[in-house]
Amino acid sequence: MSTHTAPDAVVDETSAGEPDVAPTTHHAPVPPPADGSPHDDRWRAAARATVRWTASIGAAVIIFAAFLTTQGADPVEALTAMWNAAFGDARSTGDTLLRATPLLLAALAVAVPARAGMFNIGGEGQLVMGAVGAMAMSTALDGAVSGPLVFALLALGGAAGGALWALIPAILKVALRTNEAIVSLLLNYVATIVLTWLVFEPWKDPLSTGQAYSTELPDAERLPILWANRVHIGIVVAVLAALAVWVAFRSTRWGFRLQVLGGNPEAARRAGLRVGSLAIGAMVLGGALAGLAGMLEVSGVEGRLRPGIMVGFGYIGFLASWLARHHPLKAVLASLVLAAIAVGGNGLKISAGVSGAAVNVLMALVLLAVLGWARPNKRVGAP
Amino acid sequence: MIEAVCVGAVAGGTSILFPTLGELITERSGVINLGTEGSMLCGALAAYIIGIETGSPWLGVVAGLVAGAGLAAVHAFLVLHRGANQIATGLVVTFLGLGLTALFGQDYVGQGVVALEPVAIPGLASLPFVGPVLFDHDPLTYLSLLAVPALWWVLVGTRAGLQLRAAGERPEVLRTFGTSPRAVRYAAVIGGGGLSGLGGAQLATAFTRNWSEGMTVGRGFVAVGLVIFAAWDPRKALVGAYLFSGAIALQLQLQAQGSDISRYLLAALPYLVVIISLASLSRRRLHAAPEALNHVFEHAS
Amino acid sequence: MTTGDDELIVARGITQRFGTLVANDGVDFDVRTHEVHGLLGENGAGKSTLMKVLYGVNVPQEGTIAVQGAPLQLGSPAASRAAGIGMVFQDLRLIPAFTVQENIDLALGGRGTRGERRRLVVDAGERFGMPIDPDRAVRDLSLAERQRVEILRVLLLDAKVVILDEPTSALAPQEVDGLLAVVDQMRQAGLGVVIITHKLAETRTIADRATVLRGGKVTVGGVDPSTCTDDELIEHMVGSVPPPLPAERVPRRNETALAVSGLHVAGSDGRPAVRDATFEVRAGELVGVAGVSGNGQRELLEAVLGVRHVQEGSVHIAGVETTNRSPIAALRAGAFGVPEDLVQDAVVPGLSVLRHLALSGEAVPRRGLGIDWRRIHDHVEQRPEPKRLNLAALDRDVATLSGGNVQRVALSRMLLIDDPTLLVVAYPSRGLDIASVRATQQLLLERRAQGVAILMVSEDLDELMSLADRLVVLHDGEVAGIVDAADADRSQIGRLMLQGAAA
Repeated sequence: MSTHTAPDAVVDETSAGEPDVAPTTHHAPVPPPADGSPHDDRWRAAARATVRWTASIGAAVIIFAAFLTTQGADPVEALTAMWNAAFGDARSTGDTLLRATPLLLAALAVAVPARAGMFNIGGEGQLVMGAVGAMAMSTALDGAVSGPLVFALLALGGAAGGALWALIPAILKVALRTNEAIVSLLLNYVATIVLTWLVFEPWKDPLSTGQAYSTELPDAERLPILWANRVHIGIVVAVLAALAVWVAFRSTRWGFRLQVLGGNPEAARRAGLRVGSLAIGAMVLGGALAGLAGMLEVSGVEGRLRPGIMVGFGYIGFLASWLARHHPLKAVLASLVLAAIAVGGNGLKISAGVSGAAVNVLMALVLLAVLGWARPNKRVGAP
Repeated sequence: MIEAVCVGAVAGGTSILFPTLGELITERSGVINLGTEGSMLCGALAAYIIGIETGSPWLGVVAGLVAGAGLAAVHAFLVLHRGANQIATGLVVTFLGLGLTALFGQDYVGQGVVALEPVAIPGLASLPFVGPVLFDHDPLTYLSLLAVPALWWVLVGTRAGLQLRAAGERPEVLRTFGTSPRAVRYAAVIGGGGLSGLGGAQLATAFTRNWSEGMTVGRGFVAVGLVIFAAWDPRKALVGAYLFSGAIALQLQLQAQGSDISRYLLAALPYLVVIISLASLSRRRLHAAPEALNHVFEHAS
Repeated sequence: MTTGDDELIVARGITQRFGTLVANDGVDFDVRTHEVHGLLGENGAGKSTLMKVLYGVNVPQEGTIAVQGAPLQLGSPAASRAAGIGMVFQDLRLIPAFTVQENIDLALGGRGTRGERRRLVVDAGERFGMPIDPDRAVRDLSLAERQRVEILRVLLLDAKVVILDEPTSALAPQEVDGLLAVVDQMRQAGLGVVIITHKLAETRTIADRATVLRGGKVTVGGVDPSTCTDDELIEHMVGSVPPPLPAERVPRRNETALAVSGLHVAGSDGRPAVRDATFEVRAGELVGVAGVSGNGQRELLEAVLGVRHVQEGSVHIAGVETTNRSPIAALRAGAFGVPEDLVQDAVVPGLSVLRHLALSGEAVPRRGLGIDWRRIHDHVEQRPEPKRLNLAALDRDVATLSGGNVQRVALSRMLLIDDPTLLVVAYPSRGLDIASVRATQQLLLERRAQGVAILMVSEDLDELMSLADRLVVLHDGEVAGIVDAADADRSQIGRLMLQGAAA
């Protein structure tokens, strides 16, 4: 049953809506609507945003310091240790960059479906399945291929693993209208169990004793190292992926269609867009990006599968995408910030004897500050 | 073996039933809270610590309730006062719970629990089958069983329930008649978080009887799925919760009996059960969804 | 002016501004007991704004309101309600998932026991001539029944003044009679009733006094409507009497643009909404769909456009079967439309007017992997339709536009399409001022003259009868009759709308 809302009917008591009047601004020639406001406004807005962000993050750090104090740690010392662990020297900066790589891809895995109006909370599982896919590819190749081609094939395996895992919630969503947020979330636990099974049974390294892990990748399948003995080429891949997604969002028909679908799926359907395939495509592309991150982690860092590989990366990627409001370029910065906090956790553990997982508090506080305060134009009030 | 599975389903079901009921109340008011997982963790740790520090499991239970509600209050404030996205905020709140419990719980890992002991109901507990399955549990399990009809009655038979449902259907109508939907939602989110905290408390002090980081392994998220499965009806929530815990109990039993089925496949079973039941029911159940809730999923940014 | 004993509401000098727009400009208005006061005016004249001021939803910048001599606290719906002012909104404030009783309980508070509250509802329903089963779910009720529930609820809240916001706009003529009988009961019970409307006939039938608003100002204040002629009232409403539409009809052609055969369609609630509908629209023909709203119009249009599943029967567009072949098939066959609920089905938040114009369903001009926005922009600028419809600036975010301006976007988008086969239009003039209504009607007639087939739903029977070649009358999802507009009469169509083919 539809409600008949004439323009001057009461719609909501909280908002006294503007009654309908014919627009007085008659067709003045307007420049094609690029997202263009005058430059002054843009600078002022940017300045305001910077202040808000600084204040938000500053408040989060202060609250976090208060929590640390309750655990008997000296907050200044602890925060310094965190900073040093994240950026203190080349090695720690390398650690941060290394961590930012999968986080950025995991963030893009959230941002692409989000543009199409979907929640992908399955990055965690898609990363794991990407690692599994890469390992499966490596097993299938059995050292037969080498050179750059092998990385392309491993990446393909990883992307396919992540994509397939994302395909499940996507298809359930499109075919049965099952909630993709919850299905992708629950599949994370299933992916972890699959990984555990693989490393304990079929792929178990016969030489491993106590700790279970899989056989190692051959040297030819390890990614080239760029910097500081650790930072592999994956960071370049991830940044290029962010650039590609940004360009695709901004200036392709596909990006426009995703935006329409995300803004109003019914309008998209009525405009003749193939909403089912668009939605599945967005989710699967997201999964493929997360899967690529899994491959990079196996081939660039770990060299093998083990239980607990990449724990939390998917969720932190989700946070990074929200921190960046799903903007692919801002996601680069957001991943770097969250990677620094995560890596800083190691310093916290060593210096203050506080559990490394405690940095989750800081991440959460930063996100809460940004979700709740860093967006001035957000409609405040009833959701 | 059937009896053992049923006993396990009821004993293990409490820690999933409470958050499911909590999330059900929350969603009936038109808010979704993925922070249930975090509320459970906070509830579990608070009950554990207060139990040890005071020696009273009951003070622990109260602390669990308060901790769960407190974390949910964060979600409520951000979502209801600051207009933050519900899905993202819920997940961040869970993250906050994960971090807080890791921070405050590190000294308590491996300490002895002050357990909430089972209380056999005299007479009834000695009945064959029914006795051990239903009448030989910790008090929170009985409470959860009583909570199901109680919540159902509140929803359909009381003015508070009417207002709760109205907030979840058409908040503007509720506002027209002088009740603030935001106030109703605050109460629902915080109360729901309290129930999740109770679930965590039961998990730590009565069921697994220990504390470890992230010990809820997704139970809070499963609860969110089960609310959809239950079509926002507390009676069906009971079925859903026991289906999930039954799958876990079955897995443990099969494993104990040295079944050929891979224990990994069995470990995934509870999650798969929830996913499959969501997929097979969703189309029909979507009609039962509170109207305001549908808007939550429309905006992924 | 003195306040007599029979004065319920006296409002003086009400001025309500929204930004630069003055929606009410020094308006005086009053309501007495035992009277029905008609509030007339075009869309946007400020009628609803004034009533929202009385009801406490809007806070006026200037003015005073007294209720039975006591000053009313402005801007508080609770205070207005407590003072005895009740309002029946056009978009009814009911919860579909609740029963009638639950909806009323929500408003009444915890008064009495469940049995007592139930008796209250049943008794009041009988007293005012609108018996209702309190246990039925509101989603199962017809629009007229829902309206009665709202009226009942207002009465049970001890209202002395009941404001009805365009209560008859979605009702069939006979349902209107039923409603007016209820209004008469309320008048006899001593209430003051305000009816917001733009229909003169109704005003004459029921109103003791009439007030006319134009551009936020009172042009006629509280006169007995029988003392003015229709033309006088119209002039006060719109400034000048609108010229009649051109009556010339183009001989229709023989190609069938749309053939609907044995169509069965389910509504969103799964119940049958369209049953066994069969009709054709030929090229160069405008077919109007008449019916009380909620009798399958929406589902019929959606099935034609391929956006709703067809259970049985077929849809052919320009000879191509498009039944259940997705909206894309209908678009390819040349069928384009304006949906009924634009906010729900057409508006994409954050996208500009130009971006929306690119979502017509036609292929967009390409530029590499992207879209050639400049070309679309130039095309829109060159065409006359947007100007004639007074379309908003192309870079405005559609989500921030008023309902009428959103309607202009949807109409422009459809009318910009080159050489369509079939246009499917729901409520083309909804939300528009009289000039834009005329422009829209002219544009549709021009399209018809070019040989385009048009299927149109409207809640305004006069509009349908003046534009359409033929009318398909829907009743309870069935085609109750197909009549030639030229020799149709209102009461015959009304009977078909209400009683179906049996009439």
